[in-house]
Amino acid sequence: MGAAAQLLIGIGAICGVSTFLAVLMVIADATIANYGDVTVTINDEKQVTVAGGKPLLGSLMEEKIFIPSACGGRGSCGLCKVKVTSDVGDYLPTELPWISDEEKAENIRLSCQLKLKKDISIRIPEELFNVREYVTEVASLVDLTYDIKQVTLKLVEPDTISYRPGQYIQFQVPEYELTPESVYRAYSMSSQPSRGNEIELEVRLVPNGICTTYVFEHLREGDKVIVNGPYGEFFLRETDRDIVFIAGGSGMAPIKSILYTMAERENPRKARYFFGARAVRDLFLLDEMKDLETRLPGFTFIPALSDPQPEDNWKGETGLITEVLSKHVKSGDNLEAYLCGSPGMIDATVKVLLDTGIPEELIYYDKFA
Amino acid sequence: MNGQVAFYAIFFAAIFTNNILLTNYLGMCSFLAVSREVSTSAGLGTAVVFVMTATSVLNWLAYRYILVPLDLVYIRYIVFIVIIAAFVQLVEMVIERVSDKLYAALGIFLPLITVNCAILGVSLFMVIRNYTFVNSLFYGLGSGIGWALAIMAMAGIRQKMVRSRVPKGLAGAGITLIIAGIMALAFMGFSGMIKIT
Amino acid sequence: MKQTVQMQEIQEKMKPGIITRDGFLGTDRRNLVDILMEDDAAVKRMDLTHERIAARMTELRDAGKRGLGNVIKVPPHFEVRVDSVRGKLPSPFGGPGVFPKTNITVRNLRLGREITYTDLHIHLVGKHGFYEGKGSNFRLDPGDLVLTLEIEK
Repeated sequence: MGAAAQLLIGIGAICGVSTFLAVLMVIADATIANYGDVTVTINDEKQVTVAGGKPLLGSLMEEKIFIPSACGGRGSCGLCKVKVTSDVGDYLPTELPWISDEEKAENIRLSCQLKLKKDISIRIPEELFNVREYVTEVASLVDLTYDIKQVTLKLVEPDTISYRPGQYIQFQVPEYELTPESVYRAYSMSSQPSRGNEIELEVRLVPNGICTTYVFEHLREGDKVIVNGPYGEFFLRETDRDIVFIAGGSGMAPIKSILYTMAERENPRKARYFFGARAVRDLFLLDEMKDLETRLPGFTFIPALSDPQPEDNWKGETGLITEVLSKHVKSGDNLEAYLCGSPGMIDATVKVLLDTGIPEELIYYDKFA
Repeated sequence: MNGQVAFYAIFFAAIFTNNILLTNYLGMCSFLAVSREVSTSAGLGTAVVFVMTATSVLNWLAYRYILVPLDLVYIRYIVFIVIIAAFVQLVEMVIERVSDKLYAALGIFLPLITVNCAILGVSLFMVIRNYTFVNSLFYGLGSGIGWALAIMAMAGIRQKMVRSRVPKGLAGAGITLIIAGIMALAFMGFSGMIKIT
Repeated sequence: MKQTVQMQEIQEKMKPGIITRDGFLGTDRRNLVDILMEDDAAVKRMDLTHERIAARMTELRDAGKRGLGNVIKVPPHFEVRVDSVRGKLPSPFGGPGVFPKTNITVRNLRLGREITYTDLHIHLVGKHGFYEGKGSNFRLDPGDLVLTLEIEK
C-alpha cells in the first residue's frame, strides 16, 4: 500500500474513532445527563416548571421564589431547608450534618444540595411568597459613628415593599475587584414600613468583611443595589404588656423601625430601651431618640456606657448592660423583652431577665446576629 | 513474547510480582496526592479497578478489530487515550444519573483517573505482550487491584507515620517517594515467581 | 505537592473575597496541603495536638466572654477581650456549622505578647490543623500561639 494511502487511512481511522466517540458523548449528554423539565409543586397549590438537573434552591430562585440562604447554595450555612413531600431518594452526605433527627422524620432537605431529577412536591412557609428581589438605588450614605453607616436605598423596581418592623433584607454585594462572585449579607431595616418606597439600613464596619468593605469604601450615592426580602420573625407582638428593648450598635436598626411604627400608631405601651455601648463615640441618633420620647409618652431611652472616656463627661448610666438592666428592671410582671445583639450579650441579658421572673417565651431575640 | 500464558497467572502477577505501580512505577501522581487516608484511597482504588478493566477490554477490541486490520497499529496511543477519556466521561454521567450518593463519594475521583498513566500503560502492555482477550481482561482487572492495594498500603503506612518526626526537608512528597521505593524493593522479592512475559 | 480535587476546592474558598475580604492564605504561594503538613509537623515537634491548642483557645475565649466586649483579667496573668459583630461565616473546609464573627484578643502580661483569633480559627485549628497561610493578617503561627497562650502538654 502506498505511503499516502496509508496516511489517509490513518487519519481517517482517527477521525472515525473520535467522531464516533464524540457522537456517543453527545447522545449520552442528551439522554443520560438530560433530565428534561421538572414540575415543582409548592404547598399543594403553586406549580412551577423548571429545567431539571440543577439544585432546587437555584431553580426556585430563577422563578423568583427565594428560599433563605447565606452561602449562595454551597452547602455551608444550613438555612435553605425545605420540607419535601414526594420521594427524592436518600440524604446526601453533604446534607446530613445539617439535618437533625426530628427534621429527618419530617423529610426536611437542604434545597441547595437536592438536584431536580424528577417531579417534586415541597412545602415552604407562606411568608416566603412575599419575598421579592428589589432593584434599588443608593439615596444617601450618612456616618452615624466612626464605624456605623446609615444607608438609605430608594426602591426602583418594584417601587414599594411591604414588611413588618423588625424584619431584615439580604443585601447583594456584586462581583467587583475584591470579590469574584456575588455574596449576600443580611441587614435589619431601620426604616419603618410607612416610608413606602425607601428602606434604611445600619451597617457596621467589620474588619476583613466583604460586604462592609464594599459599603464603606466603594458604594456611592446613585449606585444600583440589589436586595431581597423581607425575612425574619423578629417583630412586636400585639399585646398590652410593658416592653424592654435591649440592643447596642447596629442592633438598634430593628428597634428603631419598631419604635417609629409605635409612634405613628400612638401606641400607649410603656417601653424602655437599654442601649449598651462603650463610650460616647459609640452613641448615635440621640436626637431621634429624644424626639421619640416626646412623641411616645410611655417611652424612655436609657444609654449605658461600659467604658466612658474622661473627656466624655458622661453623666448617664455606666457599667455593663447587665448591671444597668438589673438596676432598672426589678420585676418581670407584665413584661415582654426584645433583644438584638451578639450571642454573648443576648445570653447574659437573658439570664438577668429570667431572674426577674419574666417567662422565657416572652423574651424575643433577633437570632441571626 | 508468549501470548499463551494462563490468565490466572497473569492475574496474580499483575497484583503482586508485576504490580503496575510498584514494579513499573506508573500511576504515581494520584498515588502521591490521594494516599493520605485509607478510606479515600479505597474509593479511588475502586474507581481505578473499574476503569482499568473496562478500558483494557475496550482498547483490546479497538486494537484487534480496527487498528490491526487497517494496519494502523502506530496510532494506538491516540486511539487508546481518546477511548479512555470518553469512557470515563460516560461513566461519570451514568453515576450522576443513577446514584447521587455514589457520585458524591466517587465522582470527584473520575477526572483524576483519566490522566492516570497506569491506565494507558496497561493497554499498551497488553498490546506489546500480545495478550488474548481473556488475558487482557484479567490483566486489566489484576493491575487495577494491584494499584488499589498499593495505594491503600501506602495510605496505611502514611497514617501510621503521622506521629513520626519526619525531617523538615523530606516532609510530603519526599518521604512518600522514599516509602514507595522501599515498597517497590519489597515487591521485587516476588519477581521471578511467576513468568508472564 | 499535588493535591486532590477536594483540597483544591477548599483552597479556592480560602482566596480573598470568597468568605472574608483578605482570605486565609496571605502571601503564601504553596498548595494548601503543604501548608497543612508543615504546620502539622511543627505542632508534633512541640509534642502537642491541634485539639489541645484549640481547647486552650476556647478556654480563654470563654473566660473573656464575661467581659461583654470589655477587657477582663484572666488569671494568672492574661487580659482578654471578646467582642462580636453580626453574621456568621462558613468554614472553607465545608461541612456543618457556621461560626459567629467573634474576635478574641489575648494579652499575656508576663511576656508582653498579644495574639488575636476568632471563633472560626478555633474550629480551623482544632478540626483541621489549619493556622492560615504565611503573610496573612490573621496568621496564627503554632509556635507563637503555644508561647503566648502558655499551652502545655
